[in-house]
Amino acid sequence: MTLSRRNFVKVGGAAMALPLLGSSAFAQLEKVKVGFIYVGTINDNGYNYAHNQGRLYVEEHLGDKVETIYVENVPEGPDCERVLRELAQQGCNLIFATSFGFGDSVVKVAPQFPDVAFEHATGYMSGPNIGLYNARFYEGRAVCGTIAGHMSETGKYGYIGSFPIPEVVMGINAFVLAARKVNPDATIKPVYISTWNDPAKEADAARAMIDQGIDVIAQHTDGPAALQVAAERGIVGGFGQGADMSAFAPETQLTAIIDHWGPHYLASAEAVLAGTWVPGNTWEGLKEDVVQMGPYGAKVPADVVAAAEAMRTGQIDGSVHIFTGPINDNTGVERVPAGTTMTDAELLSMDWYVEGVEQPA
Amino acid sequence: MQFRLEKRREPSQFMLYATPVAAVALTMIVGAIIFSLIGYDGVGAVREIFLTPLTNAYKWQDLGVKAAPLIIIGVGLSIAYRANVWNIGAEGQYVIGGLAGTGIALLTYGMTGWWILPLMVLAGMLGGMAYAAIPALLRTRLNVNEILTSLMLTYASVQLIYYLIRAPWKDPMGMGFPQTRLFSEAARLPFIIPGTIVHLGVPIAVVVGLVAWFIMTRSVFGYRMRVVGAAPHAARYGGFSEHKTIWLALLVSGALAGLAGVLEVAGPFQRMVPGFPTNYGFTAIIVAFLGRLNPLGVIVAGVVLAITFVGGEVAQTTIGLPNAATGIFQAMMLFFLLAGDILIKYRVRRVVPQPSQGAA
Amino acid sequence: MDLTLAIIVTVVGASTPILIAALGELVVERAGVLNLGVEGMMLIGAIAGFVVQFHTGNPYLALLSGAAAGTAASLIFGFLTLSLSANQTATGLALTIFGTGFSALAGSSYSARPVTLMQPLLPEQLADHPIGRVIFGYSFPVYFAFVMVVAVRYFLHSTRAGLILRAVGENDQSAHSIGYSVIGVRYLAVMFGGAMAGIAGACFPLLLTPQWAERMTAGRGWIAVALVVFASWRPLRLLAGAYLFGLVMTMELYAKAGGGVLSVIPSELWAALPYLATIVVLVLISLRRDATTNAPACLGKPFLPTN
Repeated sequence: MTLSRRNFVKVGGAAMALPLLGSSAFAQLEKVKVGFIYVGTINDNGYNYAHNQGRLYVEEHLGDKVETIYVENVPEGPDCERVLRELAQQGCNLIFATSFGFGDSVVKVAPQFPDVAFEHATGYMSGPNIGLYNARFYEGRAVCGTIAGHMSETGKYGYIGSFPIPEVVMGINAFVLAARKVNPDATIKPVYISTWNDPAKEADAARAMIDQGIDVIAQHTDGPAALQVAAERGIVGGFGQGADMSAFAPETQLTAIIDHWGPHYLASAEAVLAGTWVPGNTWEGLKEDVVQMGPYGAKVPADVVAAAEAMRTGQIDGSVHIFTGPINDNTGVERVPAGTTMTDAELLSMDWYVEGVEQPA
Repeated sequence: MQFRLEKRREPSQFMLYATPVAAVALTMIVGAIIFSLIGYDGVGAVREIFLTPLTNAYKWQDLGVKAAPLIIIGVGLSIAYRANVWNIGAEGQYVIGGLAGTGIALLTYGMTGWWILPLMVLAGMLGGMAYAAIPALLRTRLNVNEILTSLMLTYASVQLIYYLIRAPWKDPMGMGFPQTRLFSEAARLPFIIPGTIVHLGVPIAVVVGLVAWFIMTRSVFGYRMRVVGAAPHAARYGGFSEHKTIWLALLVSGALAGLAGVLEVAGPFQRMVPGFPTNYGFTAIIVAFLGRLNPLGVIVAGVVLAITFVGGEVAQTTIGLPNAATGIFQAMMLFFLLAGDILIKYRVRRVVPQPSQGAA
Repeated sequence: MDLTLAIIVTVVGASTPILIAALGELVVERAGVLNLGVEGMMLIGAIAGFVVQFHTGNPYLALLSGAAAGTAASLIFGFLTLSLSANQTATGLALTIFGTGFSALAGSSYSARPVTLMQPLLPEQLADHPIGRVIFGYSFPVYFAFVMVVAVRYFLHSTRAGLILRAVGENDQSAHSIGYSVIGVRYLAVMFGGAMAGIAGACFPLLLTPQWAERMTAGRGWIAVALVVFASWRPLRLLAGAYLFGLVMTMELYAKAGGGVLSVIPSELWAALPYLATIVVLVLISLRRDATTNAPACLGKPFLPTN
């Protein structure tokens, strides 16, 4: 509480020079206070843990020029609204709302604090002081899919999802598109379990899929449960999600998709410090280091590592975009003609499955 | 020196009101000690959780908004519990009330008119009532324990939300996320204090508490509830049908839980989302007990619980106290309160030990 | 055939913790006490079991500490409701809130740390054949649950102590006037319930998913409470009910993973099924004219001697 509200209401001369467009104006600061709200606990080994690592990254890089605070286990609803105002009132200059379900609250609260910069993860409603940020996790999925395509013996993969939102659908599609570049007959079975965090249910979903013939598993839920089941059953492998989960299944994790929010959080905090923050709409990926791949597992052979690396570097230098046509949907209808790449807007509202995805119930 | 409990001839009015205050005070003292011992700033935790929300005027609006549903549900439960009817499924009735209101809001989407909100409120109360009627029917017709049925129905109701917002009621513009569309303006609860988040539900909660207090103390209905709860045999002689009382208790508490649900969805939420069930129905059970099953007490207790929620978040941001600590403080408060209940009917007597007599 | 066997193995895993927890709650309720703190006690058992397994690697010690932690938690409930005759419903809810908070706080430094699963109890050779795997291939808690079903049934119906316990649950005043200690019996029952809930909680990191995650029991304590009612307070029906509930919880996932007829049932209906089924069973029991299997008469009511 070293920084008082004095600083946060101070609107400096730099802001006066800006044309008055009804938008907010930001002053240079000597120290920035950054608030984070998490939908789950920072100890979830996955999504929220990764966001918190991003917070620590900012602290590490800005030292005494930053102070961070966070609130965990914030329900998506009016409670979030209150926490956002609490953070703003505590003097935060920059607030990250790290879950889709916080969107309504951000839209309501941000206008009350025009001097505070808000950033909402994975959302779609922006505003004069509301920036949006997201990460191209599907790029990581494509790397995982490449490995699965090479290593699976049955050509059948399982995918545990929470809810069929575009973010999840996109990941499933990217995974199988990459896998089918290696094995054109590969199929993937998504199972939605309607929760982000019920480890026992995730584990049972993994068992149900393994018992029915899949030998590579991926998941879009918060914890390492599915990966642990993969290890227990001795199938070909699985992937870490959100964070490197090799501690949970050292033999079985083929690689991991690591949410590396740190660079984005640092850039935003620096922009606020410099008084140059503007509400952006960033969607960064492997290239910007916001999505990272974990270490390749010991059992991944050198040629597969090479193929995975080619997929990774191809997406970094822009030569590969996994959503480039021809792409058929899983009823055989061509959705993306050859040579065309889906736009970001199309990706962000994706509600259909590509060929190779068994239609989930 | 030894102590023994001795039954009082009359329940102590002093203890009735002193024990909740003592419970809160003890929670603060013991909480400060425990959290200091395990390496947190214990005194700071108590200060931020219990005092900051009161001393910081900016937080008052949050207290009102958080306390409103707790008070409305808690008042209904206090009436039912007075009659010895143990409706613990208020969470489910709250959910169904919210869903009924949502149904009206979606049906009237894009329309305007003053009648939409009252219709939603009516639907919400009827929804909560209908859901509470199931345990009432089973209890009166088949003698099935209402604690168990109302609890089971709560878990089923949460699944109904998930189903509706995932499939038939899903927002067509919501990027596939399981939630309904934002209600149109006419289906949203108005704010009553400009520049704050205080919506119409907050004064409604206070009015509900006052009206309930008046009815419980001044009307035949209130008399019936209290007599049936306190002395069921006497009540039967007095001509009060037990079945009718059970029905009344469940319908009133269900209607109020439903009212809280519809006010919550039309007020702070403005759409139905998966996070709608926030355990208000269960927390209100604590509120009802903390408020001594007295509607005026419930108003105070609702605010006290709201303070711990709001303060718990303050403590996270200011002294880094983990979210889990809030639950521990709330549980401790209830433990102390329940422990103190015995002092209402019994007094502690010091016994001079006599060699010939064992301990009582 | 292979798939059927595989499903059985998963069902056994899903059923075991709810069976163990429900068996404890059954004894508690038979003594006339309703403890709604099962979920909280399970979480406390889960973190205790996890911590001990993490530091010692001895799963039996882990189960034992789960039991001890669950018992300790149940004593809070026992003291308030039995010694101080506080309201059982409210105390049980408070215990669940407490258990959720306590376990989260105690476990905050144990995330990102795996433990090893409990090994099968019997020699590997027995589990070589698929059928052998389905019968002999489990770790200790699975068999423990079966043994306890038989033991509890024997205790309740064939021992003097069991008779006293049921008498206390059916008519506490009479039991008291004959000279039995109602409070003493109920204390023992509540402690047994706590120990079983603690073991059930410890099964989560030891049997199902070898990690600690906040709220990892995810509502299964409430399923256990429902199960006791579903089984109409009878141990053998409890066994059948636990496996039926386990089957419902598991079949949803197998159906979704495999396609087929069952996969069209919405997952929400699967999730609501145990609770709806419990209400239906309650109704069915009450409809029977010879309703001898109804709830213990004193369930949830505090005992205050009338003398």
